[in-house]
Amino acid sequence: MFLKMITSSLIRRRSRMLVALLAVAIGATILSGLVTIYYDVPRQMGQVFRSYGANLLLTSENENPLLSEDVDYTRNLIPADKLVGLTPLRYETVRINNLPFMACGTDFAGLKKTSPYWLVTGDYPKDDSSILIGQSVAGAVAAGIGNTIVLTGIDSTGSPFSEKFTVSGIVQTGGNEEECVYMNLSELEKLMKNSGSLDVAECSLASSGSELESIAGMIELNVPLVKARLVKRLAKSEGTVLKKLQSLVYIVTLVVLLLTMVCVATTMMAVVAERRQEVALKKSLGASNQSIVCEFLGEGLFLGAVGGVLGVFLGFMFAQSVSVNVFSKSISFQPLLVPVTILASVLVTGLACLLPVRSATEVDPALVLKGE
Amino acid sequence: MFFRMVFRALVRQWKKMLMIAFTIALGSSLSTAMLNVMFDVGDKVNQELKAYGANIRVVPQSSSMVSDRYGIESESFLLEEELGKLKTIFWAFNIVDFSPYLEGSTEIKGGEKVRLIGTWFSHHLSLPTGEELDTGMQAMKSWWSVSGQWLEDGDFEGVMIGSELAKKYSLEPGDKFYVMEEGFSENPLIVKGIFDSGSSEDDCIYVNLALAQKIFNKKGLISSIEVSALTTPDNDLARLAAQNPDALNQVDWDTWYCTAYVSSICYQIQEVISNSVAKAVRQVAESEGAILSKTQLLMLLITILSLIGSALGISNLVMASVMERSKEIGLLKAIGAYDNPISALILTEIFITAIFGGIFGYFLGLGFAEIIGQSVFGSYISIKVTVIPLVAILIFAVTLLGSLPSIRLLLSLKPAEVLHGGH
Repeated sequence: MFLKMITSSLIRRRSRMLVALLAVAIGATILSGLVTIYYDVPRQMGQVFRSYGANLLLTSENENPLLSEDVDYTRNLIPADKLVGLTPLRYETVRINNLPFMACGTDFAGLKKTSPYWLVTGDYPKDDSSILIGQSVAGAVAAGIGNTIVLTGIDSTGSPFSEKFTVSGIVQTGGNEEECVYMNLSELEKLMKNSGSLDVAECSLASSGSELESIAGMIELNVPLVKARLVKRLAKSEGTVLKKLQSLVYIVTLVVLLLTMVCVATTMMAVVAERRQEVALKKSLGASNQSIVCEFLGEGLFLGAVGGVLGVFLGFMFAQSVSVNVFSKSISFQPLLVPVTILASVLVTGLACLLPVRSATEVDPALVLKGE
Repeated sequence: MFFRMVFRALVRQWKKMLMIAFTIALGSSLSTAMLNVMFDVGDKVNQELKAYGANIRVVPQSSSMVSDRYGIESESFLLEEELGKLKTIFWAFNIVDFSPYLEGSTEIKGGEKVRLIGTWFSHHLSLPTGEELDTGMQAMKSWWSVSGQWLEDGDFEGVMIGSELAKKYSLEPGDKFYVMEEGFSENPLIVKGIFDSGSSEDDCIYVNLALAQKIFNKKGLISSIEVSALTTPDNDLARLAAQNPDALNQVDWDTWYCTAYVSSICYQIQEVISNSVAKAVRQVAESEGAILSKTQLLMLLITILSLIGSALGISNLVMASVMERSKEIGLLKAIGAYDNPISALILTEIFITAIFGGIFGYFLGLGFAEIIGQSVFGSYISIKVTVIPLVAILIFAVTLLGSLPSIRLLLSLKPAEVLHGGH
């Protein structure tokens, strides 16, 4: 009987119930959408912050060179989902037209990940005989893209070398990278006639604050000859700015939720309040206050549950489209949000129903039915 | 007669109207708060990103960084007296901080060669324009952790040394040491603070600019300037201009010059500092752009969601409240009222309520925006006038959208049926 009353009332008053359901669904959508975004923002934003480049440097303990094998070992130690890029760098002095410059041997695939802010006119070198030169170098030796330049110097055995290279690109950074000549690490090792040693390795890790410190500690503990130094400027600033952004989303979520929930509640109240006549009629036919409240509450809870389920899906779709549009990545589904959203919408609608129904039951049915 | 009906209706049903006004106020406050925050979030986040330090570096034209890599004394310098001119460029207001540097290498008595850098830590500057400002490196190196204290302006004995250097010579704050320069081998320098910057700066000595000029005998000269400026993320025009500003046509050139792109600020700096090259530090400038545009887009989407939410919320409630007046409309029709006056009557009632609710909500929303600004950024969100028409249009549109269809529906019903109660 109870269920029949609820379902028939829902079906009979289609348009009004649709209005109420819409209100609940909007509230639930905003709840689940914003909370999903709130949880996902630090992770996604962390990726954006990686455009600042490396936030951890691997150098050697004491005066020893940094060994390539230690760097490779470290690469496997770092959790794969945290590692954005790792680039080995080896610096040697070379001369072009007798002017001294720094030559840097590196891995260009990694470099693109750890230094995404580089502006390269032309191309990154594709083979061993091409090099990338800094803008200051290009100015100093008057070399352009496609030109051939000769690098001379002294190798590790003490004998001089001289080798021709093609300039494939010119790099602009606004920093002292513009003073360097970049080539494949294997090529520099061939020139210097020794391999396996590096000066530094740059790591770009998608983490900040204490998590980054613990990764650095873990590396130093496991690879005794490697010193892991945080690039404090990035590590510290990233933590501060990310925290600000997260608290922004947090408080915005809070304000929006608060206002939306009140909005949902007033709509529910309006929908219920207009049924004072129905309440009065039931009362005059002999229904007890309790059974009337129960019936309205049942309707409200049903609406809350359906709206909540709808909201879970719509909210996730919203969060997903935000994530794809802003960060071009898909978002992770938070299973815990399903019960929380449904529960919240059931609670809000339940409460919103209860207040007007109670006041309606307290009024004398005769007065209401007469139209006062 | 019409207004008396409206007025009576409002008074008689004040409870119901109050609820409508309340919901509209909520919707309007939500839109006001979100729009204000969204319009200001770029500036606010930009300010936060200044934590990453300078995004523009100014060096003398013929200098190259080859010199500082090999310790060769650079031969060209910038003039200290021109620094104040940075605050006279078109985008002067966007220059948050700047700091001059004079670098050179010296030898610690009983030790090796080290780099010694003179700078402003927190320097008070009075400009010829009458403007007063405090600027310097302290504000631009937020990530330095200092034990001891920062150097004060006008301290001609004190130095700050990097943590690596301190470890090497086992120096503590309060210790003295000598540098092998004329006139200084007898006068000690006192360590006031030791900093840890996590970069190559940790091997350097920092002193006040005037002291460095005395040590290196370079009175009035500086070797570089770091500038921290608020900039607009680059677009295609800015990228084109950064390559060669002269290639732009007049209209584009004006747009570029009058927009706070990092390249136009660099260009303007070069105009006022003689013999200088101003370069964007791409690591900072590029990343700032990326983070700013992502944050703005994120806020825009959240704002759209909350606007849709409040729009649906308002129109929903308006619809519900119109629907419940079927009896009244039926009665009006039964005693001979035409459709148009009935619609006008109901619409006027609702719009009067909406105006009150909307205005109240606007001010409530400003309050929410300031709560957000204060709790997140610790500063006030600037109130944009453009928000007022936006919110007004939104409220007007959703109220109309919410009430019109239901009024039409009710008008199409037969009075007899409605009044009889069989709907």
